[in-house]
Amino acid sequence: MTAPVMVPETEVAGSVDYARPWKVIVWDDPINLMSYVAFVFQKLFGYSKEKAHRLMMEVHIDGKAVVSSGTREKAEFDVFRLHEHGLWATMEKDE
Amino acid sequence: MSRFRHEGDVVVVDLPAGEQEMLSQVLSDLRDLLIKGGDDTLRRLKPPAHLDSSEAEASYRELVDDDLLCSRLEAIELVESTVEGAELDAGGTAAWMQSLNSLRLVLGEQLALTGVDLVNHKMPDTASAALYEWTGWLLEQLIDAASQAHDL
Repeated sequence: MTAPVMVPETEVAGSVDYARPWKVIVWDDPINLMSYVAFVFQKLFGYSKEKAHRLMMEVHIDGKAVVSSGTREKAEFDVFRLHEHGLWATMEKDE
Repeated sequence: MSRFRHEGDVVVVDLPAGEQEMLSQVLSDLRDLLIKGGDDTLRRLKPPAHLDSSEAEASYRELVDDDLLCSRLEAIELVESTVEGAELDAGGTAAWMQSLNSLRLVLGEQLALTGVDLVNHKMPDTASAALYEWTGWLLEQLIDAASQAHDL
């Protein structure tokens, strides 16, 4: 299991950093509890409660949200961890 | 009464005997289903990672499918070993959440629930629907206790 990792907010500010070529998207799945999705964002990415809640609401209302970005390897790892927790995540090259 | 409560930095599991038995049974069924594989109701547990390249998707599946399966089986095993009562650290809590959520994803698929059904609370009157509601109720309580115990 992955232990929570607290990342300073400055390092994750802004969902998309254009120096980072891959983005990870989480899609809305009505089965997943809203509280669970926010909890997973906090736990996996070390996001603050506020940021995790905002991203969860974006997924819920817009149908999807970019939750992380980075190298292909990092994106793949993040997608795997999200899948492990039952969230519908995809990755794509950030054009 | 809540089935999970936080005490300091741990989450205490406290399920009545009947619920312990029920959870063990449905997790045993889930394990069988996961090991057998190929069932349509597992669809939500293996979502695609790449929507724009079947080649990249095939390579992702080859890379992670075994690990995903192992992770789920290990989580189920941990829940089974603590279902009669335990103090969970962050790893134990994650295993419980992962297992409860996996059950919901499979049950939701079996029930063919849509977003509209859920918004309207339109649930069929079946044992699967009751299990779905119950696992959601447990998961909500666990998230609440874990948020306090693990300071999230």
